[in-house]
This record gives sequence, C-alpha cells and structure tokens, in this order.
Amino acid sequence: MVISEQGYVHWQGTFIERRFPWWPITRLGIRLAFKRKFFKFVFSISLLPAVMFSTGVYISERLDDFQFMLKGQDRLLEVNPAFFKSYFTSEPLLFLMVMIMVLAGAGLICDDLKYNSLQLYFSRPLRKRDYVLGKMATVFFFLLILTLVPGLLFVLLKLIFAGSFKFLANYPWIPVSVIAFSLLVTLFFAFYTLLVSSLSKNRRYVSILLFLVYIFSNVFFGIFYSIFHNPYFCLLSIQCDIQQVGAAFFRQSPHYDVPWIYSFLVLAAICCLSAFVLKRKIRGVEVVK
Amino acid sequence: MTAVIQTKNLSKWYGNVLGLSDVSLEVEQGVTGLLGPNGAGKSTFLKLITGQIKPSIGHVAIQGQDVWNNYPLFGRIGFCPEQDAFYDEMTGWEFMTSLLSLYSFSRADVQSRAEKALDFVELAKDKDRLIRGYSRGMRQRLKLAQAVAHDPEIIILDEPLNGLDPLSKRKVIRLIKDYKEAGKTVIVSSHVLPEIEALTRTIILLHQGKILARGDIHYIRDLIDKHPHMISVKCSDPRRLASSLVGEPSVLNIQFGPAPDTVVFETQDRDKFFGLIPRLIVDHRIDVEEITSPDDNLQAVFDYLVGK
Amino acid sequence: MTMSHNAVRSIFSFFFFLGRKARKTKVFFLISGLPVLVALIIQINRLFAPGSGIDGPAIFSSVIMAFNLQFLILVLALFYGTSICSEELEGKTLTYLTTRPAAKSAIILGKYAAYAAFLVLMVAAAVILSFLILNVERVLDLSAWLAMIKALGVLALGLMCYMAFFTLVGTFLKKSILFGLFFSFGWENVVQYFPGSTQKFTIMHYLKSLLPAASTGSAGKLSFLTFKLEPSSAGAAVATLVILTAVFLGLACLVFSKKEYIFED
Repeated sequence: MVISEQGYVHWQGTFIERRFPWWPITRLGIRLAFKRKFFKFVFSISLLPAVMFSTGVYISERLDDFQFMLKGQDRLLEVNPAFFKSYFTSEPLLFLMVMIMVLAGAGLICDDLKYNSLQLYFSRPLRKRDYVLGKMATVFFFLLILTLVPGLLFVLLKLIFAGSFKFLANYPWIPVSVIAFSLLVTLFFAFYTLLVSSLSKNRRYVSILLFLVYIFSNVFFGIFYSIFHNPYFCLLSIQCDIQQVGAAFFRQSPHYDVPWIYSFLVLAAICCLSAFVLKRKIRGVEVVK
Repeated sequence: MTAVIQTKNLSKWYGNVLGLSDVSLEVEQGVTGLLGPNGAGKSTFLKLITGQIKPSIGHVAIQGQDVWNNYPLFGRIGFCPEQDAFYDEMTGWEFMTSLLSLYSFSRADVQSRAEKALDFVELAKDKDRLIRGYSRGMRQRLKLAQAVAHDPEIIILDEPLNGLDPLSKRKVIRLIKDYKEAGKTVIVSSHVLPEIEALTRTIILLHQGKILARGDIHYIRDLIDKHPHMISVKCSDPRRLASSLVGEPSVLNIQFGPAPDTVVFETQDRDKFFGLIPRLIVDHRIDVEEITSPDDNLQAVFDYLVGK
Repeated sequence: MTMSHNAVRSIFSFFFFLGRKARKTKVFFLISGLPVLVALIIQINRLFAPGSGIDGPAIFSSVIMAFNLQFLILVLALFYGTSICSEELEGKTLTYLTTRPAAKSAIILGKYAAYAAFLVLMVAAAVILSFLILNVERVLDLSAWLAMIKALGVLALGLMCYMAFFTLVGTFLKKSILFGLFFSFGWENVVQYFPGSTQKFTIMHYLKSLLPAASTGSAGKLSFLTFKLEPSSAGAAVATLVILTAVFLGLACLVFSKKEYIFED
C-alpha cells in the first residue's frame, strides 16, 4: 500500500469510465431510503395490495372451494384485463405510491440543494443527465416493485395455478400492457417527485407538497365535478388521469367519458414541466441574486 | 481572582459516543483559548457552558449560577456558534435587530447597537442584502456581530476565525484583546495553535473529550519545543543551504527530498532556526520558493503529548 | 415555568416578520387562495349559464367551507405547527434563540402566536373573498355576513387547535410530518365517521359540531366531505377546543423546556 504524505497528491491512475455513472447515485438513494425510520414499515404496507390481488389470482382458480365466502361475487375474481386495471389504478395503491415518494423521494434533490452537494456531484465525471437518471432510478426501483413486479407476478401465478396457457392465448397483450403501464406510471411519478423535490431545500416542505398537490388535485376535481357534472374536470386530478390512461392500456372503458389521450397529455405535460424545471435547477453553482 | 465559569466532573455522551469526559476546571476573567483537534470535545464543552445541552454527569455554573434553563443569565453571555446557520431569508440588518429585540433594549438602542456591531464587522454596506447571498467570511462576521452586539460580560466564540481573511482575522483578534482589556471573559476555541497564540497565554488543551493540558501557553510551547520540528525548505540550491546549517547545534538532522529542490531540517529550537534562515538566504543568494513545517499542526503536538 | 410577556412579544414580532417574508408562505398563500379561484369559476359560470341551478351561498357554506375545514387548515397547521420546533433544528438556528434571555416556553408561544396570526389572516382573506364572490347578490344581507364570521371563527379555532397539537408533535418527534399526515388524513378523516362517542376523539368532530353546514353537503362525488355527525353542543365544542389548545401548548412548552436538542451533522 502506498502511504501518501499530507497535502495534495496527484492521481496517477488511468481513468476507467463507468458504464452506468448514475448507478452509485441510485444505490445511495435506495440505501438512504431504507435507513429512514418507518420506511420499511410503509414499504411493507404498500405491498399489501399486491398480496391481496395475488390471493385473488389463487382463489380465481379454485372458485368452487371458496364459493361459501364469495356469495355470488365471483365475477370480481375473474383474472382478466379488468383485474389488472383494478390493481394498477386502485386508489389505495396510488396513495401508497405517493407515501413511498414522500419518504424515499422527497429528499432526492432537495437534500443535495440544502447541503450544496451538487457541486460535489458535478466535480466528478458525471453529466447532468446521469445525475437526474440516478435520482429517477431510485424512484423507479421502489415503484416498479409495486407495479411491474406484481403485474408480471399475477400473469405468472395465473399460468401456474391454471396449469395452461389459455390466459395468455386469450390476452396475449397483457404482459406488454403491464410493462408499458408500469413504466409510464413510474416515469410520471419519478418526474413528479423530482420536480417537487427540486423546488425547495426543505425536506418537510417538499414532503407536504408531494402529498398536497396529489390530494388537492383530486379534491378540486371532486368539487367541480359535483357542481358542474362535467367529466372533463377529471383532467384536473392526477389520480383520475392515471386511472383514465390505465383503463386505456388495459382496453377497458374509462370511468369518465373523456378521451384517455387528454389525460395522457396532462401527465406528459407535467413530465415536460418537470424536465424544464430540473434543467434550470440542477447546476453545479448556485447563483444568488 | 474569582472563577467566572466553573465545571465539575463535567461529562457528556451522545448515545455511546463520548463527547466530554470528567472535565473539572475554572475559567477566570480574560481570554482563554480552547485548543484541540477536530472531535476533541471543544464544541460540546462550549454547548454545555452555554446551556444548549444538558450534562450527562457533572455540573456547570456561570458566575455561581446553574446554566441549564437559566435564561436570565443569557443576557450576560454572547455566543458565536460554530455552525454556518442563519435565517437565510433575512437581511443582515433584520437578523441583527430581530435578535437584539429579544433583550430589553429600547427600539433606538436596538438600532444603534445593530449599526455599531455591523459597522465593526464591516458589514454596514451589505446590511440590506439577504444573508443567503453573503460569502462565507461575511456570514462568519455576522455570527460574531450577533454575539457581541448586546455587549455581554462573557463572550464564547466557537472557531470564530474560520473562513475569515487575514485582515478580518486581525480585526477580530484586536476586538478580543479589547474585550480582555475591558475586563470581560472570553473563551475562544480553535484547532489552529498560532491563532490562539495571537490571542492569549491561557489555554486549555482538549483531546478525546479530556483535558490534556491546561495553563500558560509557554508551558505547552516548552513541551512542543522538546519535540523536534520538521521544517521543509523548497529553494534553488538546497545543498548549499544545508551545508550552511550543518554546523548549527540546533539542527539535528538534514534530509533531501522528496522533490529534488527540497531539503527537510529537523530542529529542536524552531525559533532560533527561523531566526537564522533569512540571513543565510540573503548571504548565499538562494531563491526560496516555500518554507513549510510539515508537522507544525496541532495534531502533531497532540500526538507528541499523548506519546504516539 | 416563568416568562416575560415582552419575550413572547419579541419572539412573535421576530417570526411574524420572518414568516411573512418566507417563500413557503407565498406558496401556501397561493394554495389557501385556491377556493377563491373555485368561487370565481363558479360565479363566472353562473353569469354565462344563469339557469344552471347553482346556488352560490349554498356552495360557499358547504363546498368552500368543507374544503377549508377538512383539508386546508389541516395542511397549514401541520406544516407550520411542526415547523415551530423542527425548522430551528433542521436549520440549526435554535442556538440563536436559546442563548438569549428568553424562556424556552416564550419561544414556543411567541412563534406559535406569530404563525397562527398570519395563517388566520391568510385563510380569512381567502374566505372573505370567496364569500364576496359567491354572495354577490346578498352582499348586504347581514345574516349571511354573520354566518360567514361564524365560519371564520370556527376555522380560526380549528387552525389554532390543530397547530397547538402539531407544535407539541414537533417538539418530541423527528418525523413529525409523516405522523402528521397519518393523523390528519388517517385518524381525523376516518374516526370522525365512527358512530357514537368514538368521533369525539377527533378535533374535527368539535369543529363540525360548530359548523354543521360544512358536513351536510350533497352526496355523490362530495360524499368524502360529509359524514354522519352526532354533534356536541356549541358551548361544549368551543370549550373542548380551547382546553385542547391550551393543553397541547402547555405540553409543548414543557417538552421544549425539558428536552435537549442536538443538531444532526
């Protein structure tokens, strides 16, 4: 081992460029999230819908045995596109995803802004896009565990419990929809989280905002819809927009009589706004006027 | 002389981390330097004597009164914390006047005191700028201003010279000496020996939460002087410089390198060595690029004192 | 615990001034102004579609007030209440306050009073504006004004009570926001629907007892704003809210005075 003297020592090694320079940032984000109090608890709770739906897949193959419990509600346990749509657009799941972001995502950029860490990041061979990608991948990691993994698991369980490929023969597009919708909803939430996280240096403020924007958008939709009875107000609600797009991805009729593409455009607009804000906010040197 | 600050068996631990261990001492009027490397327990000690944290064991009193939750006592104390923290959305002026209004001064008095303190730390012309726009040095000076603006009897300064430029440092040193002359009690912490040397002769050396040495700085200096010093000279002709110092009794060892233009001397009498060097450089017309003392830092002194 | 009124007043001025200047206050001011936007949209719609059957005053008393009561004041109280202690710790500025000749309880009370004052002003401005917009044809009706003032009083009482609770939470919990979210949108929004005496374990019960109109809105999409209220009497509700506020604040002062706060590095 070389023992260096105190002072500056010139690095004489050869620089090996990382293939995925964003990965250390992601790894750190995941590790820090698990270190937070209550995170493991909330994350475990957020897996409950997946456990319940998995049980549903099992029961769906043994309806005769569970008839005494179902009391004629067995149509709810048919594993079909509506089943997947129910899981992916269920209010509890979306709410728990927001809570996961409050815990694991709020500090992603805001803590770096608070502690002036951006200068440290960008003094390394790291581009802005690697930084953003690293932070996004942290959100991706957690949210894909709640969306993509259970979605594919439901398909797999259905095939195993049924002992045939009939399900896939009937709905060959389901795995693609599961992947596409999981990626879409995760991408949206990643942009949303990073947008809010980049707005302040105060984690508590960001946590409240993440929650507030999601809830208030839904409340205002409720208010306007009840007064005007116009379904287009559903575009105001993040939750409804996700549900509308989810319905389209799983070839179900949307809950509100509004073309799903409008909801998709609203979500895309939020992502674009986020990209714009992130481009302006993430820089090595803070300029104070 | 009566003790202004008294601690008895003062100990503090954070979970299983020891911050301060069994510190019993008395601080008298005048300037006392608190020296120690990072993590020695200086800030813990200062937080304990300013009543920000509770002792785990032991007792701390200022002017005979318990410190913890004794808020009337804080009117007599000025504290400059180590952390670089402010209400960033305030201007320097708002910060000063807001804090001064927590004392029972009249409105006019608050303003004149704020003005005087800001003027002293040379922030008068920047007083209306937001603190978040201040440089590190300006923030450090503002911290100092808030600690002295109410003219306290006891001033406790945690690393006050950090981040200051040489001119500002001189000014702060002058201010502290003025306070001493005015009969006040000042405690200054630092990990830089020359900074403390410039301020006072009374020091407390802390290491790993314990008092390592206490008293006159000359005593510490003597201890240090028994320990050979390394002095590195980077110059145009190191061999010539070395040959001129070979006969000097205070020089114990001479080594060349690590760079070809560098010579390292080991001496037991640092002051004498530094007295000789300028004359030799001039006499032999040697161009000197740099004179450094690789072990002239507090850690080296501590290592020596604890026998490492 | 002794403290001087001067200290409370000085802390009040300090944070009333600071709170007004803060960027986050501007954001929350905009958020609390959202009901005004809703009122405007409703009124403009009424102008262009006079036969739409939308009753402005009814919407004010059910929708706008329910939104303020069940969402807005909770969020504002949660953020500012927990901020009283947490922001000093997170920003490491607590030292500047605790090394002054002011009792620790004066710091809590002064800061609480400052934040409560400008939050009440913020909400009142939005409520009065919404009221004026939605009651434009009844602007001279004294009874409508009295109802609005009563509603405003209930909101102020709610804000103060919730803020006192969250101030207490902030003095002893580090993860006060997470707890606060579960309390506000879990406990308060669920237990209030329980029958019998159970609902009396929520602060919301006493607020809605004072403002029944806000809890009898139309069904359908607004059903999340309504619940089966078994109200307490007005006197009991006010007394309970005042006592709860005092108890929460007293406990917050006690915890803040006794507890030692160590900054995270």
